[in-house]
Amino acid sequence: MPTVTFFPSYRKIEVESGCTVLEASQRAGFNVNVVCGGQGKCGKCVVFIVSGKTEFDSQKFLRFFTSEELSRGACLACQTTVQGNVKVTIPDSTLIQEQKILIEGTEIGIEFRPSVKKYYIELSAPTLADPSPDLSRLLWGIQKSGGPVAEKIYAPLEVLRDIPAILRHSNWKVTGTIALVPGGYRLIDLQEFDTSKKLYGVAVDLGTTTIVVYLWDLVSGKVLGVASNYNRQISCGEDILARVNFARKNGLTKLQALAVDSINTAITMVSDATSIDLDDIYEVVVAGNTVMTHMLLGIDPEYMIAEPYVPVVRRALSVASNRIGIACNPNSGLFAFPAVSDFIGGDIIADILACGMGERDDISLLIDIGTNFEVVLGNREWMFSCAGAAGPALEGGEVLYGMRANPGAIEKITIDPGTLNPVYATINDIQPKGICGSGLIDFLAGLLTACVIDRTGRINMEIKNPRIRQGRFGPEFVVAWASETDIGKDIVITQNDVKSLIMSKASVHAACITLMKAAGVTCDDIATIYFSGAFGNYINKTNAITIGLIPEISIDHITNIGNGAVTGANIALIDRKKRKILDNIATKIAYIELNAEPSFMDEYTSSTFLPHTDLSLFPRVQKMLDECRLRRN
Amino acid sequence: MALKALDIYKLLPKKNCKECGDPTCLTFAMKLAGGKADIDLCPYLDEQAKSVLGATTRPPIRLVRMGVGERSFAVGEEFVLYRHEKTFYHPPGIFFKVSDTQSAEEIAAVTNRVRDESFVRVGADLQVNGIAVENVSNSRETYANAVATVEKTADLPLVLMGKNVDVLTAALVHCGTYRPLIHAATLENFREMYALAKQHGCPLVIKAKGLDELAGLARTCSNEGIRDIILDPAPQSLRDFITTSTSVRQLAITRTVPDLGYPVFLDATLSAMQDAAVALGIVKYASVIVAAPLSPASTRAALTLRQNIYTDPQKPIQMNPGLYRIGSPGKDAPVLMTVNFSLTFFTLEGYLEATRIPCFMLIVDTEGLSVLTSVAAGKLNETLVRDSMKKFAVENEVSHRNLIIPGYASPLSGRIEEATGWKVLVGPRDAAEIGDFLQKGVEKVDADCHVLPELP
Amino acid sequence: MAPDIRFDWTGTVGSVVLGATKTEGGTRKISYRIGGGSTLPFLSGNASSPSPLVALEICDTSEYWSPVIRNYCGDLVDDIHAWSQAAETLYGADLVRLYLTSTKERNFSDIVSVKTSIEDVLSATGLPLIIEGSNEPKIDSEVFLKCGEAGEGERLLLGTAEASRYRSIAAAALAYNHSLIAQSPIDINLAKQLNILLREIGVPRDHIVIDPYTGTLGYGFEYSYSAIERIRFSALKGDADLAMPMISSATDTLTVKEVREADPKWQDEIAVQWEFYTGIAAAVAGAEIICVRHPRTIPMLRKAFLDLKTGTAGPAGLT
Repeated sequence: MPTVTFFPSYRKIEVESGCTVLEASQRAGFNVNVVCGGQGKCGKCVVFIVSGKTEFDSQKFLRFFTSEELSRGACLACQTTVQGNVKVTIPDSTLIQEQKILIEGTEIGIEFRPSVKKYYIELSAPTLADPSPDLSRLLWGIQKSGGPVAEKIYAPLEVLRDIPAILRHSNWKVTGTIALVPGGYRLIDLQEFDTSKKLYGVAVDLGTTTIVVYLWDLVSGKVLGVASNYNRQISCGEDILARVNFARKNGLTKLQALAVDSINTAITMVSDATSIDLDDIYEVVVAGNTVMTHMLLGIDPEYMIAEPYVPVVRRALSVASNRIGIACNPNSGLFAFPAVSDFIGGDIIADILACGMGERDDISLLIDIGTNFEVVLGNREWMFSCAGAAGPALEGGEVLYGMRANPGAIEKITIDPGTLNPVYATINDIQPKGICGSGLIDFLAGLLTACVIDRTGRINMEIKNPRIRQGRFGPEFVVAWASETDIGKDIVITQNDVKSLIMSKASVHAACITLMKAAGVTCDDIATIYFSGAFGNYINKTNAITIGLIPEISIDHITNIGNGAVTGANIALIDRKKRKILDNIATKIAYIELNAEPSFMDEYTSSTFLPHTDLSLFPRVQKMLDECRLRRN
Repeated sequence: MALKALDIYKLLPKKNCKECGDPTCLTFAMKLAGGKADIDLCPYLDEQAKSVLGATTRPPIRLVRMGVGERSFAVGEEFVLYRHEKTFYHPPGIFFKVSDTQSAEEIAAVTNRVRDESFVRVGADLQVNGIAVENVSNSRETYANAVATVEKTADLPLVLMGKNVDVLTAALVHCGTYRPLIHAATLENFREMYALAKQHGCPLVIKAKGLDELAGLARTCSNEGIRDIILDPAPQSLRDFITTSTSVRQLAITRTVPDLGYPVFLDATLSAMQDAAVALGIVKYASVIVAAPLSPASTRAALTLRQNIYTDPQKPIQMNPGLYRIGSPGKDAPVLMTVNFSLTFFTLEGYLEATRIPCFMLIVDTEGLSVLTSVAAGKLNETLVRDSMKKFAVENEVSHRNLIIPGYASPLSGRIEEATGWKVLVGPRDAAEIGDFLQKGVEKVDADCHVLPELP
Repeated sequence: MAPDIRFDWTGTVGSVVLGATKTEGGTRKISYRIGGGSTLPFLSGNASSPSPLVALEICDTSEYWSPVIRNYCGDLVDDIHAWSQAAETLYGADLVRLYLTSTKERNFSDIVSVKTSIEDVLSATGLPLIIEGSNEPKIDSEVFLKCGEAGEGERLLLGTAEASRYRSIAAAALAYNHSLIAQSPIDINLAKQLNILLREIGVPRDHIVIDPYTGTLGYGFEYSYSAIERIRFSALKGDADLAMPMISSATDTLTVKEVREADPKWQDEIAVQWEFYTGIAAAVAGAEIICVRHPRTIPMLRKAFLDLKTGTAGPAGLT
């Protein structure tokens, strides 16, 4: 069998001929970024073949590479097969970077108090004088070692059947695992001898495209490893709607299996890398959107996607992992986050837990932006939420030269107000191929402050500058000349691009304002704005305010929480007290259906202006723009 | 002023007991704020909270029912001064006035007209509501005969207008059980009038100049047990009407003068510009408008204005989704997709008719949202378009596979193409340009660079 | 204690001057100052706000005009001199609004005719003018500048600026000291946005008249009515970017089904009633210039406005 050697780590693995480099790398324990699910669509799994025989049709994927990269042997791991001994370099940028987790979060009082615990006990053997039953003996022993009161521990039949043999075989030296479940305490496992150090748990962010898994040592309270994987359901449809339709036609079974499979792969990857036995994983916590959670549990999501949008279940669920096939201890429990509605799911509840807004008195605004967006406003006492479609523009879609945040995407721009020459930075510092969401926001802010566009986003064609011109699709602004780019064409922003962006940002802002009006709060009442999701990590906060994407508050009070879903799942895994408040948070949140909210249309129209029709909502931006205009004139 | 959901929430017990039928106190508060729930559903409210919330949710203007039977209707129960703040709920009743000195034939002719004349606009029958019979003869018998003529001719809500209590009493013998509106109790005759109204259980108009007098008289009658009151502030001019009517509405809805919390009466016949008076009555808070039979043109305009003003400004009128034809489109006629917001529909339809190019309009169900909003809210999406095309069998109607979508829906063009397999052409944002768009054909190329259809 | 209505208005509608008399540097017989209202239209005690003005709309190429008007006015519609003269002397309009419909023609290039048309109308009537210029963005700049030049000194009201094309007309208005109409599609936010855009390129507030777009009765008027009412309301609430007088022109009136398909016997009557009901309701909502096309609507509106304004229309008042 061919051997694949990975650089720079020198990790080696034997694979059968024809295996993809992606699969080989995953088996070797690398977390390669594959957003598209290995379909060759996202261009994220770039690796370099150093030597050896592989097959890859580079002509088909030219758009993902610079010529320089190609000369160095660049290819897509998912589209390249191993045909002999191969040496491969995996650049850092191809690996999934470890997520920043904010579980330090002392202000919200997270403590390490997991809901499963192991007790090693040495019991005395029964005698005629002490003939108490095995179970009582065992539970008493656990109680005496600091465990819960014996009478309160329930022992399921599966464990009960194993007790006599294990006790006697180990000569009465055993480790019992007790889990706190909704009904009380439960003896979920009994092992011979002392295994009390082997107690692990996993936290899962079950996303529509990506799955992230954290493996925790539940004794030491440390993260042992992180793995991520694409959600294999992608093969049944890109977005949620497509997948629900797939389920409607072909049944849920396949989708459920794919979700489980994706999670299992990630868990296996991380357990292999850390040499941990899957049977020692005693708890799984999953945060996912409502449809994903339903699908994972094999619950029909069909009635959620059409009016009146009813999910089957909202509350948090605890089930036995083996009932849905998760690769871990067969008696372990799986905890799924509760949801608010079809649109505000467990992932958002996890965001709320991660940022702690549901436990404070001051008011926070949480914004999670993707193709869809979710917004939550509130504090410990009350919360309002809503969701909507932002349109793809903020992620670089539907924009002529828009692209996702992949290498070569312009991610930061400033525009010189005098010369109108942009200074930009691309991801991985290579020649630009397009512009991603954060770049587009910078760009819009730059054009506005340079007075190239008016507040409705119309390009002022009266300005004499070679960058402003009539293009094939109407007025446009040249961001990068063909000679600077990687695509041999001028990269431009068209009038329509600007309009699409404004429409997207208006949806998000109007949603924020709609919640604020429902609650009767103003910008001044908002102590913190939290951005959740990848989008928030890259955007320039000042520019996000300048264009009116979010309400104007001091940028010191805007925080990125990164992947809030996985952070929330981690918190729920390690702190049982936090888990208890989740249902509370979920029921506290009132969901506002924007479609049914008569004022939404009004708010939306007034947000289709830069930054907003009601300038009094953006006093600092207004002042800054007035100054820009004065300088210009 | 209307309380915000959060203000109401603060007054609620916050037990989340679900006994009101809502999952949480906050969602219940949201419903209360939107006027979609009754505070009595909450069993744990203390008296003080109840009085605060009760005052904000109870209608500040009384609902008064006119007539009985099929054509009966209610007026009042309004909450706002400007329709954009919420909506106006109960359109004013328009009554054509006859005099008892007219011949029976004349009276019957007017009555017949009110009974039969109706025209349909956006799915609603528009009609004048009833007959006002004025006592000019001052004869009990003549008046009673005139009322009887109306009664015999049609079963319509009535206004009995006269100063003489005896005369009205005689007429009420004929129609007292049909809840005619009695016009009017004045400072001079209110005791007899409210006795009469009480006896027959009829609503009563109170007429007085000056809001103080009006409120005082209303209080007196109300104390006597007359609840169904209509106020006639006896305006001296159009200007006087608009001022007093606005005052009554404002003082009533702010609960500043609860005794003015009744619907308003307007006798448009007293103006030499009756059409103007009717129009003003409709827009400025009259609930009962009496007018001499309006010309057919004026009637249509008045009823259309009334329908316009009394539509819910926050709930757009919707068209039925479907495939509509402009002219007699053939197999090669263009297909234009748009939303079922009625204004969008009518505007586009108007411009399309003007182009004289036969075509199909595919109206998809966005629940009455405009293109811009439905795109923003995700209501207008490729699935909806695909399903609508299937439902209305668009592909059987035409031989081509080109779909024109509104300019504001351009972000969806790619996805609609994918979902339907049709070629999507992005039309103009402004319906007024649709003619140019269709006529210029290939000349004008949209931003998405699609070639436009060749037209017959 | 007499009950009284109280509003906590803090704002006033700004005023705009239309037309210039000889002493004001023009040749008009009269000039108007509209705006200035400090409460809802026509409420007692609001003497500062003048009665709404009624404008007759005419055009320089009548093939674009409704047959209803061509039938009623006869040959007049092909003679803008006589037509605009009649507007003043025969029909009693307060203003003449001239649509340069000729610019709709394909590849229109006769910019000189713009000037002669305007000069013709200026010589025919002493009323202040509203000029509706270019119908084609490509020629906006030339046409508007020509309009501005032709009416220099006359304080014209130039139409129509929209969010997608406002720079040319603003330039013309600024260059020749005219006012302009700022039109937005039945939405208070869009109206405000356009006013901000105009302000930011230097058009003073007292040179802007808002056109919130009037859909005619039964065809969007419900939205227009509230848009007008809300703009007035916002102005009174102190929003300076909406504190301009408004113009209402239900240009679709004569083409709606009710009018177009009416029995010829009473087509005029229904056209007039449709214009009248739309116009009076728009005025009550807050519009201060009401534009009509049927001459018979003019005296009806003027009489109603007189009574609404003064309450002293003689026997015409409610007695």
